Amino acid sequence: MIPDHTQPRLADGVRLEIDGTTGKGVLLFPEGIIELNETAQEIVTRCDGRPLSEIVLGLAREYDADLEMLAADVRETLADLQRRKLVKLA
Amino acid sequence: MNAPRPYALLAEITYRCPLHCPYCSNPTRMRNNGELTTGEWGRVIREAAGLGVLQIGFSGGEPLARRDLAELIHGAREARLYTNLVTSGVGLNANRARELRDAGLDSVQLSFQSDHVDLADEIAGANAHQRKLDAAANIRAAGIPLSLNFVIHRRNIDRLPQIIELTETLGAVRVELANVQFYGWAFLNRAALLPTREQVARAREVANAAKTRLTGKIDIFYVLPDYYETRPKPCLNGWGQRYLTVNPLGDVLPCPTASSAIPNLRFENVRERPLDWIWRESESFNRFRGTEWMPEPCRSCPQKEIDFGGCRCQAALLTGNAANTDPVCTLSPNRAQVDAVLRDLDQSSGHTREWTPRVNPRKAAIRPNA
Repeated sequence: MIPDHTQPRLADGVRLEIDGTTGKGVLLFPEGIIELNETAQEIVTRCDGRPLSEIVLGLAREYDADLEMLAADVRETLADLQRRKLVKLA
Repeated sequence: MNAPRPYALLAEITYRCPLHCPYCSNPTRMRNNGELTTGEWGRVIREAAGLGVLQIGFSGGEPLARRDLAELIHGAREARLYTNLVTSGVGLNANRARELRDAGLDSVQLSFQSDHVDLADEIAGANAHQRKLDAAANIRAAGIPLSLNFVIHRRNIDRLPQIIELTETLGAVRVELANVQFYGWAFLNRAALLPTREQVARAREVANAAKTRLTGKIDIFYVLPDYYETRPKPCLNGWGQRYLTVNPLGDVLPCPTASSAIPNLRFENVRERPLDWIWRESESFNRFRGTEWMPEPCRSCPQKEIDFGGCRCQAALLTGNAANTDPVCTLSPNRAQVDAVLRDLDQSSGHTREWTPRVNPRKAAIRPNA
């Protein structure tokens, strides 16, 4: 399990942009584009070096969501993005 | 017809290049005048972003040959595009690498001809290999993510293990091991470049083993030589669906090789028409868009939304008609064309054939009263 103090960041060469055509968040990287769903976009926006625990708390406040379920969602999303080498966990 | 939105623009900003690779993507015959200016490229980039494009690849020729490259990259970043430089690396010293990084360059794809200097320089027709190694170091020192690209063919395919080793040594995050596809110069040099079936089978094993071994470290993309396939590649993910190319003279192409391979299709120019109109309305972008244009066996084929009938340029080059099914497909009535090429190769394998290096176009002669 990804620990609470992990500080996720976008991997080198990966950029978050808002797609002007759809209004949705996209990750751009060499030869690739991934469209993010709303949850993933909210998470990735916060991948700026703050710890995982803070990301979860911030989202919980904003969305008035169950903390444990939210934490599980965030971990799953980050693990998926790490597998694709779009996010690094340190 | 309703046009989808494009995602990526390939900006071929010049045909000039210090290398002479026998598979060069430059046209084999070309007009040699009137590269788009800095201002014209700026407008093309803004128009592309307005159409929905999210990524731009600066290519050529050798894009470093243009002194305004940093300015063009800066313009692309202002339009919020992801910027990639596709380069031979010749001319990419430490200062230039930093200049491009400061302009906002997101990543570099550096090409190599082989892992070994003698063979690499023979293929490039220039003393380039050492300068590429230096360029790789300069790119990394500037903090720009590095991808490598090797065009694979009969003369270097057996060196795939060493080529992958070089990729590891240089600290690349991604490598394309792309078997040469036969258009333009590569089509002229096909007899010298096409690997044998045995070579292809061995290389596939090497690439697959390396993929497994380097998972999480380097992304390896092994592109098969499609003559050995039984179904065509999904070229461009469909004509006029996601990609567009603007060449150094401003012609807008659905595919970088289309202007050479399909001479009877008229391509529009950004000096005469807005990019938006060309993408949505022009004959060249609509001719093979969707599935309505397809003949049999594609028309009734369950694969038609998967491979889109393959490659229009390959159909044009091998069958004389761009609207035919890609003859790589074993369902194509023209597959015999591809088989004949492979049979010729089987009967002559072991021989190294001469190739024709790319030559620079001649300067236009000055003709009074012409």
